[in-house]
Amino acid sequence: MSRERVIDEVLSAVMAFFSFRSFRTRLLVFLLALLLPVLLGIYIFVNRENNQYTTDTIDSYLELGADVFDFTREEHKNTLLTITSTMTRDWGFRNAFGTGDPYTIIDAADNILLRSLGAADMMLISSMDGEVIIDTKIQGFERLEGEWLALMEEAASSDNGIGDAIINVLGVPYQITVIPLFLPTPVAWIFGGFPLDNTFTDTVKQSIVSDVSIVEYRNATSGAADINASEVEVIASTLRPADQVRLTAQLQRTGMTYTDTQRIMLEDGEYGTLMRSLYGEPGAPLQIVAVIQKSYNENIENLEAFQRVLLQFYLAVLALSLIAVVFLARSVTRPILDLAIRVKHIEEGDYGQSVMVRGKDEISQLAGSVNNMALGLAEKEKVRDLLGKVVSHEIAEELLSKKIELGGEEKVVTVLFADIKGFTTLCETSAPEAVLTVLNRYLSEITKVIEDNHGVVDKYTGDSVMALFGAPLTRPNDADNAVRAALAIQECMVELNSINRAEGMALMEAGIGIHTGLVVAGNLGSQNRLNYTVIGDSVNLSARLEGLTRKYNTPNIVSEVCLQHAQGFVYQELDVVQVAGKSEPVRIYQVIGAQEDVTPEQYEKIGVFAEALAAYRAQKWAQATQMFENLQLTLPAAERAESLYSVYLERMTYLHKRNLPEDWDAVFVFDRK
Amino acid sequence: MTLAILLSKTNSLARTFACGAALCACIATPAYAAELRIALQDVETGQPLENAVVEVLLPVGLQSQFSAAADYSVDQVEKEFVANVTVIPVGSQVNFPNSDDILHHVYSFSPAKVFELPLYGNGQSVNFSEVFEQAGVVEIGCNIHDWMLGYIYVAQTSLAVKTDANGQAVISGVPAGEFRVKIWHPRAPAESAELEQSISFDDAQASNLRMALTLERDNRLRRAPNVSRTRYR
Repeated sequence: MSRERVIDEVLSAVMAFFSFRSFRTRLLVFLLALLLPVLLGIYIFVNRENNQYTTDTIDSYLELGADVFDFTREEHKNTLLTITSTMTRDWGFRNAFGTGDPYTIIDAADNILLRSLGAADMMLISSMDGEVIIDTKIQGFERLEGEWLALMEEAASSDNGIGDAIINVLGVPYQITVIPLFLPTPVAWIFGGFPLDNTFTDTVKQSIVSDVSIVEYRNATSGAADINASEVEVIASTLRPADQVRLTAQLQRTGMTYTDTQRIMLEDGEYGTLMRSLYGEPGAPLQIVAVIQKSYNENIENLEAFQRVLLQFYLAVLALSLIAVVFLARSVTRPILDLAIRVKHIEEGDYGQSVMVRGKDEISQLAGSVNNMALGLAEKEKVRDLLGKVVSHEIAEELLSKKIELGGEEKVVTVLFADIKGFTTLCETSAPEAVLTVLNRYLSEITKVIEDNHGVVDKYTGDSVMALFGAPLTRPNDADNAVRAALAIQECMVELNSINRAEGMALMEAGIGIHTGLVVAGNLGSQNRLNYTVIGDSVNLSARLEGLTRKYNTPNIVSEVCLQHAQGFVYQELDVVQVAGKSEPVRIYQVIGAQEDVTPEQYEKIGVFAEALAAYRAQKWAQATQMFENLQLTLPAAERAESLYSVYLERMTYLHKRNLPEDWDAVFVFDRK
Repeated sequence: MTLAILLSKTNSLARTFACGAALCACIATPAYAAELRIALQDVETGQPLENAVVEVLLPVGLQSQFSAAADYSVDQVEKEFVANVTVIPVGSQVNFPNSDDILHHVYSFSPAKVFELPLYGNGQSVNFSEVFEQAGVVEIGCNIHDWMLGYIYVAQTSLAVKTDANGQAVISGVPAGEFRVKIWHPRAPAESAELEQSISFDDAQASNLRMALTLERDNRLRRAPNVSRTRYR
């Protein structure tokens, strides 16, 4: 399949998808297509901003929490310093220290710890050069080492002899401070400490309203900076034990960051998590960090409440929009539907019931136009109707379809004249109304037959009808149609006569003349009053032929020209005549019927008549008379006196007496109309 | 002299026979004319070093001839010990009067002399004297005023002096010969080879001790800003 074809199919599918049955649906889809992305966009934007806000809020909470944590630790440290500084300058302690007796000194130290009301938890005293004098935790070393030594050196090199550090004391991280003991010169280092344990975390939690944990990273392979291999252990925490497990499982191990917030899933939801280094550089074998955690729950609940409000608002907007669309669509479609129904009525020819025109919008303008159009159409239809009644339907169409002009065109037309014989008798015997009724019935039927055979009634002249075949529209078989119409008129006369007979009226016969010839067809008359008709010799000849039917006692007479145009019928030659006003003789025929309708008896009679006619023309009077008389005998007795045969028999009695010229052409001249 | 040497061997008896020994020395020993002229500087600042103590360490046998126990006084003025450094020979008695109108609590936990004079005021009829029978540096403090710090340098003999504001001092009447000389300062490191050296003494010509000392940081507690006040208001 070519690419263009695919594109075409896709396009047509898309067009089909968007070709909705109703305007309302289209409007709805359009609105939704417009509204939904906007609403969705707003929703996404607001959601993202809210999430960002939540994240920022939690981040700042955590930053603050971490700062407060540091501050609290600093405060605790200062308290510890105050305690160790003040209490060790107590005379009793100085005295005890002065004894140099370790047991006395350790008791004095314990005494100080007791007096600190828990602010200090351990005390270690060393000589100025690091010799351990007493250690309330009894860690077992005799000289300061490691972090203790480092802390001492840090204090010794500082201006005020004070130092602090977080030191692991028997597995628990301790905040340790150190100050010298003045006696009155510095004689010893006083180390004091408190554990960063649950008590501490609880205290901090009270101030920062966030969860606090002290977490230790211990690297099994000492020295390697591989945090992934490290064990994470919670030393102290405000979290429940189950959440502590979750914390250690999820707490980041790689790339220890102290500025980025981690998200850690605890039992009751997600927690923003920020770490603060307490001990050990990132990557060191042992690190202790403070973990500050704040739940997103509260903010998420706010967010969800906001989302609910937003969604409700959206639903309201959508509902209002839909209602608005339905009303809008109705306000548009209802007049359009009315218009459509109206137009359909107009299409069916009902021009009544004008559409209500409300407002001044486009639809109203359209409705007004439709009304005007209906008025125009109604008027035109009225004209057409009237015209159709006055002239024939085809002529009416011809007149309506073209600009009406005087003048015409030459064309070959078959002209049919039909006259009702016996009409005069009817007039004499019946009331005028009855005459008109009967006449109209006959004319209506004849007109119908003519129109059924594609003929056009040109005019009615009293009891006769002039019909055209080939004008205004030329058909290939105009002559055929005319002949067929003539036969049909004869048939319908039988039916009409049966009605007349039933009504007790006089019976009538039709006389039909048909000729085909060149005529001038067009509008005839004055500028103000026109008549579409045909004129010419052919018209006159047709009228003459119709008139001749009375002479020859035949229902129809067809000219030779017409016969040549309408083969397929059985004709019987009647005569060769010269009608009034015409110099050329015309051979005339009677159409008997369609070939398939003609019976063998008729054929035989036609044959006999032709022989008789030949004998007549050969002036074999006796033979001809005999033959005509024989033919006459085939007719019913009532018809014998006025028949075609009797015409010839009469004519021969007259001709017989005349001395005919040598070159007698057997043309019968009718010098009167 | 032999007796004196013998006597001087035990501290316990030293006081008892101090008078006798001094008497013997006056009579029997010749006049010593050697002299040590001292000029000390602070390495860091290049300034003369005051309050440094220089002592000529005599052999035990000679010490008795130079014993000069006497009465000394270390006053407490404006919550400071005056003088800050006091050089006394072994066996001397030091009185600690209180010139302030508040109470002081003088103490020492120095091994050379542990003592305590619990709170006492100006002119109180208490015996504020202490006898220092062991050579060494005694750091004295006040339990009320932590910054108060004084030094009593208990010398073996009378051949010990304290440098003046110019960092100078003179020790005269030193016997001819070669002796160890010890230099001490509150901020001098306790263990330092240069602070004890041998110097030859000659009656005809004065020996010179000129050196610059490297001092440690002053670990003394700072005085609180409001300590100059004398009365609570």
